[in-house]
Amino acid sequence: MNGTVARIGAVVATVWFIGVLAIGPQGDLDAPASRMLAVFGAAVVLWITEAIPLWATSILVIIAQVLLISDEAVVGLPAGFEPPPYESIFATLAHPVLMLFLGGFVLADAAAKYRLDRNLAGVMLRPFGTSPAAIIAGLMAITALLSMFVSNTATTAAMMAVVLPVAARLDEGDRLRIALVLSVPVAANVGGVGTPVGSPPNAIVLGRLSEQGEGIDFLRWMIMALPVALVVLVLAWLVLVRMYRSTTASIEVRLGGEFDRGRPAIILYVVFALTVLGWVTEPLHQVPAAIVGFGAVVALTSLRVFTVDDLRRVKWHILWLVGGGIALGNGVSDTGLDTWIIDRIDWSTMPTIVFTVALGLIAIVLSTVISNSATANLIAPIGIGIAVSGVVDVSPLLAGLIIATACSFAMALPVSTPPNAVAYASGWIATRDLAMVGVVVGTIGIATVLFVAAPLWSTLGLL
Amino acid sequence: MSELVILVVEDEPEVRAEIVRDLATFTQRIRIDEAESVDDAEAAIADAVESGDRIGLAVVDHRLPGRTGVDLLVALHDDPATRAIRTVLITGQAGHQDTIRAINEAGLDHYIAKPWDPDELVAVAKRLLTDHVVESDLDPLAYVPELDAARLLDHYGEGGSVE
Repeated sequence: MNGTVARIGAVVATVWFIGVLAIGPQGDLDAPASRMLAVFGAAVVLWITEAIPLWATSILVIIAQVLLISDEAVVGLPAGFEPPPYESIFATLAHPVLMLFLGGFVLADAAAKYRLDRNLAGVMLRPFGTSPAAIIAGLMAITALLSMFVSNTATTAAMMAVVLPVAARLDEGDRLRIALVLSVPVAANVGGVGTPVGSPPNAIVLGRLSEQGEGIDFLRWMIMALPVALVVLVLAWLVLVRMYRSTTASIEVRLGGEFDRGRPAIILYVVFALTVLGWVTEPLHQVPAAIVGFGAVVALTSLRVFTVDDLRRVKWHILWLVGGGIALGNGVSDTGLDTWIIDRIDWSTMPTIVFTVALGLIAIVLSTVISNSATANLIAPIGIGIAVSGVVDVSPLLAGLIIATACSFAMALPVSTPPNAVAYASGWIATRDLAMVGVVVGTIGIATVLFVAAPLWSTLGLL
Repeated sequence: MSELVILVVEDEPEVRAEIVRDLATFTQRIRIDEAESVDDAEAAIADAVESGDRIGLAVVDHRLPGRTGVDLLVALHDDPATRAIRTVLITGQAGHQDTIRAINEAGLDHYIAKPWDPDELVAVAKRLLTDHVVESDLDPLAYVPELDAARLLDHYGEGGSVE
């Protein structure tokens, strides 16, 4: 975001915050809810304009809630309101969903350190042969699989490092180059919806759902989201190979090398496999995914596979970003602000389908221009809150899945998400290519969720 | 927008033109400034700083009129504002003592003997410019086509990007 937008954002957020606090409770908007409205509105503006870093907004939300609506609030709250203990607001930074994500981060970083990701990719790419369409299918399948466990950005960076030299060797006018460069970010964005640890919006939505008592386990998420990702991947592949026909008969992509057989690498392979196994077998052993994930962190650190230098490189800012989003959702629901906002609209005349389509569209449009995670932070509290309140006939889980998938399927611009920025940086694709493919794949994605998956989930009793 | 700059310091015009031609592979997004003496180089650096540009790499001949190339490298190293500049000494005439001084007192990054191999010069420049971009926290994505894409992408992935 540029400087002017940021400055305007800072001013608008400050004016909103002070203004709403100064006006105070009005009508059926009581004191706690009006304070939360001040925080929520300011957070919306700051997350959209990036006046301060996204994760700084998250911790600003946390301290604002501590100072305004907790039992340590600086100005007393009315009797009858049970203020949340301030410890519980700070505790969102160690929310179980964040512990699950920390486990994912540590595993992914360790996998990158011992080149497990690249070597696995090499092994998996071999059966795909050398025809351009098959290679693109292979790259997309591998990228999507990796991005289910490794961040979409890191996956794209690793795969693009392999794809760029291949694309460079193609003839100047060969449109296969565009297909190759686009296949990786598209697959990473889509693949990220496949597991709870695939991308931060999933964590934000899962956090909100679990706070509402509607949480689901790792396997259930995969059972619901993975088929959607697979369908969208296949359709995206078709779009890419149709739109950008190749003039080359065969290409060779070299990827990966010798697997590290050292002791730490072997430990990592075992811990990685056991963790994923633990995650997908939760119904059998009932150990929550967060505990399994945190166990992996403990195993890798105590066995010295993951050192203090590695720990320093963990993306703590992403965990904060998610934590602030969870805190915001809790504040909105604890103060009854969600109910107050929901009451502003007459829901009795709104068909369910209008609500789900609107939810998906708002999320995908907003997430196209701002960060996926910030979008989820903004939309989850209200979107899931509406479903929880029962004013529409939509389960909270469905609302959550719509939000999470729409955030990931927003990929029409270079700024939509870091994987797109990486592809654009190659210099070989125009904004127009990204826009065309991004809009088509995004539309296919959200339509698949709304009109195919949602009825199926409902029929299968998954919602 | 601020530009990344390679500074070529060489007094003989033909030799300078040859170096600049070899480095032309980078000029899509990176500018090349030329200087024929240490004074000239210092003026170019001051100009670049004034217009918000950033010298990422200095390719310096040793034998120059007035102060030597190694003098320049030591001066660049001693000034915190220019210490991040990566340095290549490209020369046929630097003696043992000069070379030792360049390494010990100027933190020389690379030594290339004349006559040089153009491929080697390009490879060295690519590596050092990538180092500079990564260590100086410039936008790594801006230089993916010209520099070491794999390292720049890795660095971007490890940075503050948010999905």
